[in-house]
Amino acid sequence: MARPDNQTHRRPCHPVAAWLASWVASWLLMLAPSFAQEAAPAPATTPPTVPAEPPAGQAESAESAESAPDTKALDEEVQLLKKDAVDLNRELFMLEEELLFPANTQVAVFLSMDVGEFFGLDSVQLKIDGREVGNYLYTQREAEALLKGGVHRIYLGNLKVGEHELVAIFTGKGPNEREYRRGASLRFSKAVGAKYLELRITDRQRRGQPEFEIKDWE
Amino acid sequence: MSRPQPLALMLFVMIGTLAAASAAHAADRHALIGRQAPDFALRSAAGPNLRLSEHRGDVVVLSFWSSRCNTCRAQLAELDRLYATYRPAGFVVFGINVDDEPRAAVEFARAQAASFPMLFDPSKSTARSYDIDNLPMLVAIDRFGIVRWVRRDDRRSGVAEYTAALRRLIDE
Repeated sequence: MARPDNQTHRRPCHPVAAWLASWVASWLLMLAPSFAQEAAPAPATTPPTVPAEPPAGQAESAESAESAPDTKALDEEVQLLKKDAVDLNRELFMLEEELLFPANTQVAVFLSMDVGEFFGLDSVQLKIDGREVGNYLYTQREAEALLKGGVHRIYLGNLKVGEHELVAIFTGKGPNEREYRRGASLRFSKAVGAKYLELRITDRQRRGQPEFEIKDWE
Repeated sequence: MSRPQPLALMLFVMIGTLAAASAAHAADRHALIGRQAPDFALRSAAGPNLRLSEHRGDVVVLSFWSSRCNTCRAQLAELDRLYATYRPAGFVVFGINVDDEPRAAVEFARAQAASFPMLFDPSKSTARSYDIDNLPMLVAIDRFGIVRWVRRDDRRSGVAEYTAALRRLIDE
């Protein structure tokens, strides 16, 4: 007769057989670890085992711990590269200046402003020995930077040794917002070595007028 | 399996050629494309001087125009509309006049009443540095100061094309 699957048929067991079975089972349990060690296969012949994956939280923390030094090292490398690029750029700039404008013939003209209450700078035209060498239009931002103490190199060129004349024509807004145009000139002697000249715009408080002068940096 | 019909093939080739020609006309090649836009400072009709390099970070369109150019008027009006729309997104338009006679240019700029700066280049030094050979001419400069495209096309139908190109540039 067929029995239902969920039912098991139990037969009563002899007490001696039961004792023998339990004794064999206990011996087998005791000997099992030593058998397992002996039966452990040689590492060379076994396939590589996949390490068990740690729990998700542990894995993330381990990854972040590993990636943090990597990111830091990469960031340091990027910073070093940037520094190298800046250094290289500076060296190239200096090399270019040395080649194009050797110290023996170099002439540089700078512009600075002080106060600026009576004059709003618009443009500066430069002439050396009657030849126009520069004409610079100043934006509002540039004029503000000059008023904050900035100095602008308006011209860099070469001149031979001897006497020369520099003429600078300044245009902008004068007192009472009127169109203002003034000139300043300087005769200077170019010797061997670089020559630096500075155009200075200052306020003459007593007269309520701007003042334009050219200074020779000896 | 059906073989392609010769008539359909010819039609396909013709459409392709027309599309290529149209594209070439719309986005002209120019020596400055992909290169740093030459810097300049020019006087504006409104008063202050403007320098291109001070607008690094904005998408800048230079529109070269002349008071004698009729098609320039329509293009400047179209650019004014675009400027009003995209100005908050960092879009700047400079209308650069290349007239010899400043008075005519000032009158034209006033009549145009554009909200973007109108600049004057009477010496044509800026026009020369951008190799301007047609009026009107548009030069688009990206936020890094690189010339991205140049248009010599003054057709009304081209407005949609350069508007789409500008939108892409602004979205970058």
